[in-house]
Amino acid sequence: MERRDFLKISAVAGATAALEGCGNPDHQLIRFVPEEDLIPGIATWKPSICTLCPAGCGLLVRTMQGEAEVIRNGQLGLLKMGLAKKLEGNPAHPINQGKLCPRGQAGLQVTYHPDRLKGPLVRNGPRGSGQFREIGWDDAIKQLLSQLSDLQTNKQEGGFAFVTSPLRGQRKTIVDTFAASFKHSARIEFAFFGDNVIRAANAASFGHALPPTVDLGQSNYVISFGADFLGTWNSPVAQSLGFGHMRKGRPGQRAKFVQFEPRISQTGASADEWVPVKPGAEGAVALSLAHVIIAEKLRPAASAGHAGSLIEGWWQGLPDYAPEKIASEVGMKPETIARIAREAAAHDPAVAIVGDAATAQTNGLFNALAVNALNGLLGGVGKPGGILFAPSSSAKGAPTSSQSFTSQFASTVAAAKVLLLFNANPVFAAPAAWGVRAALDKIPFIASFGSFINETSALADLMLPDHSPLESWLDDEPVSGSAKTVVSVAPPAMNPLHNTRAMPDVLLDVAHQLGGDLAKALPWKTYDEAIQTSFTALYKEKGNKTAKDADEFWKNAQERGGWWSAEESKSATAGGSSAVSAGKVKAPQFDGDPGQYPYHFLPFASQMFYDGSLAHLPWMQETPDPLSTVMWGTWVEINPRTAEKLGIKQGDLVEVASQHGKLRAPALLAPGVAPDVIAAPVGQGHENFTRYATGRGANPISILAPAAVEGTGSLAWAATRVKVARVGKGKLILFGGSLTEASPELKHR
Amino acid sequence: MAHQWGMVIDLDRCNGCEACVAACHAENNISTVGDEQAALSRAKHWIRVERYYEGEFPDVSVKFMPVLCQQCDAAPCEPVCPTFASYHTSEGLNGQVYNRCIGTRYCANACPYVVRYFNFFNPVWDKPLHLQLNPDVSVREVGVMEKCTFCVQRIKAGEVQAAAEKRELKDGEIQPACVQSCPTKAMVFGDLSDPESEASRLAGSSRGTKLLGEVGTRPRITYLQRDSWHGSENA
Repeated sequence: MERRDFLKISAVAGATAALEGCGNPDHQLIRFVPEEDLIPGIATWKPSICTLCPAGCGLLVRTMQGEAEVIRNGQLGLLKMGLAKKLEGNPAHPINQGKLCPRGQAGLQVTYHPDRLKGPLVRNGPRGSGQFREIGWDDAIKQLLSQLSDLQTNKQEGGFAFVTSPLRGQRKTIVDTFAASFKHSARIEFAFFGDNVIRAANAASFGHALPPTVDLGQSNYVISFGADFLGTWNSPVAQSLGFGHMRKGRPGQRAKFVQFEPRISQTGASADEWVPVKPGAEGAVALSLAHVIIAEKLRPAASAGHAGSLIEGWWQGLPDYAPEKIASEVGMKPETIARIAREAAAHDPAVAIVGDAATAQTNGLFNALAVNALNGLLGGVGKPGGILFAPSSSAKGAPTSSQSFTSQFASTVAAAKVLLLFNANPVFAAPAAWGVRAALDKIPFIASFGSFINETSALADLMLPDHSPLESWLDDEPVSGSAKTVVSVAPPAMNPLHNTRAMPDVLLDVAHQLGGDLAKALPWKTYDEAIQTSFTALYKEKGNKTAKDADEFWKNAQERGGWWSAEESKSATAGGSSAVSAGKVKAPQFDGDPGQYPYHFLPFASQMFYDGSLAHLPWMQETPDPLSTVMWGTWVEINPRTAEKLGIKQGDLVEVASQHGKLRAPALLAPGVAPDVIAAPVGQGHENFTRYATGRGANPISILAPAAVEGTGSLAWAATRVKVARVGKGKLILFGGSLTEASPELKHR
Repeated sequence: MAHQWGMVIDLDRCNGCEACVAACHAENNISTVGDEQAALSRAKHWIRVERYYEGEFPDVSVKFMPVLCQQCDAAPCEPVCPTFASYHTSEGLNGQVYNRCIGTRYCANACPYVVRYFNFFNPVWDKPLHLQLNPDVSVREVGVMEKCTFCVQRIKAGEVQAAAEKRELKDGEIQPACVQSCPTKAMVFGDLSDPESEASRLAGSSRGTKLLGEVGTRPRITYLQRDSWHGSENA
């Protein structure tokens, strides 16, 4: 079957579906995809966008006619409608080229989740009690309006805050513009595994405040410092495509891939050489490699350019980083460092990547700057086989700004009288010492646009549930993963199942009712009109060759799932900034006395749950973790030798305690974790997140120290020390193990 | 001549991400069983990713290996079935006729790859999760054995489409859900009776091996062993 033919058939409905009705917002906001293209038993493939992580992969949604129980105008009925049945990657999309990760595959269950909010709710008991009652959209919007107009007319002292997941495209424009219209306004984008540090480092080294696009497919030598780039980091599907190509896509040519990290990750497992390093020593290793390359005259120090200037001692050849001087400090053999340096220099193009825990130490920025300098030295910047920076388009509206999630979160939102939330769960994903919960408790009015009740949205006074991504218009401008300019757009792939409204549409409605400057700043009636405006601008800037007019350009973009440039960018370095001081060797600092807390605690992104926002999907709960095969729970990884010393056996319940809290989970004896490191996946341990995730496993974030990455204020989530002890018998649900062994509970049967 | 379906899995490309596992669940209406039943070894994953640790810290390595029904030419699961629920199709698949199956589980005992999964109870989808079900694939009820079908519904749809258009199937036109999703393109599906197909070509690789080939099952899946780096300090 040719999918593109199906795409043409499906030809984008939403564009023609803009209803004229103005008076009644009920009619204005809920727009239906016409169903005339439905033939029973025949699938239609519609483009969409995956929103589950910041990669921004393009989707094709297989929709077929089915019967769904839906409530329309207050009445429950069975409706024949197009239903999404399967998600696949969009083969035409430059980021993922038809491929998807397991999380993307499971995105279908977001739409059909039994605990999705089915309509607006208002709090009906004490805050956090979980007691809500149903309310109509008109009344719900009235409540929000009265809170906001009081703020605008200064009847109420105080500020406004809008906390969301990282947004892009016109959704970001609408949210940022809305937030900026209030006098004392805080606009925060929340991400536990955020990319602040890498952006800050790339801005300083190369003049691009962006995560890198890694051209693995053409590289001959890849050195990764801690980045789980095949699992969850940056743009994992794009990087996996490149990885496959670098391994077996070029006959007779196969790159070497070296991974430095204290615990073998899913990505490290695929390395040709996996080298454990001490936590936080990644930057020192990078500079030691650079030392060898400079000292042996394999590359001139000057080839690193500005990125090298940021490192103290760079022009002297980094004498302090000679392998024999730092080997014991970083936990490696000096000859290994020297060998890898020579290999990398001899296999052009070579590229270095840094991410995850390496950038989540107190010296994370130093580590990133050091790897950037090594990358510059190897010539891996702005060239095929190296890192590139995604070109940007002017598709987005006015330039906007937002803060990221830092230790300042609580004090920033504390002044707010009204807080709006969208797809952000800072109560779950911030160290206790940041006081997020207490700060939210003091805010008089909180409204949440999310589709689910979680630890944060449970505190809301008003729930205004968004459509699921498949039911909504979407637009996106991915910041990494392709050297092409990519602007994605997707009309709804199916009608809404429930009484929900698109968050941007609600904001536009509210803005127009509030009137004044805000209404002028957000002139669009609907979100899709806002997207169309940006595509008209994009047509004028770049699209003249591909379509005869802006309307055709807009229609083509909807059919394809977006617009992307034909050429790849050759954006190299843009100078960089000297705002970041070079500084001395920044040794990592760890929270906790090494005597009392002898182990480094290493949380890591879960392949199935990412930062925990996907723990509510049963497919993800039951898919075994790639390295441990654990299902439906949390585990704590302990090196077998350490476990033996502590009298801990596989499956024993252990308590991991830091100065800031403790957690209990079954032990997994993992050969790939350093003896002085205890590791645990982030994602489980939800107190309140649907029937599938609530009360399951433990949350490693809850025991983290409130340490910050120096120079950025981001959470240094790998900087906590812990102690560990056996407390009893635990229960580890393994898929691999259970294939051959009866679980202990079974033995009496 | 009938198509002879087979698969090649390149372990040098596979990074263990399990996109194939999730894709298979979505495509084939595989029900989740929940934590208690999963602890009793009743979770069903028609395709799983096995991982093998080698060595001790710091010299540790891990190898991943996706394992699904090997669609054996001499399948041990087929002759043991008293009701002919397990049978060999003309296109070389190890078929499973759900409404012939009476749940003796002989086939699962005979299979050396442990890729057959038994339904210990009726599947449950908390409403409206049932709306995700693929109408092209039947839902298996209690007492029935289920297994990987190479996405036979996709194979049949592709063959019917090609026949309707009076043309030959193109190589790569049919992709099981796991192959379609694989982000590293580690899995290749195709017609082994066509020597020009990519699957045939790759199956002849010097890295090709059969899983437990020594037991004589003659699997239709060829694994290409993980390669190593051939460079040196001075290229």
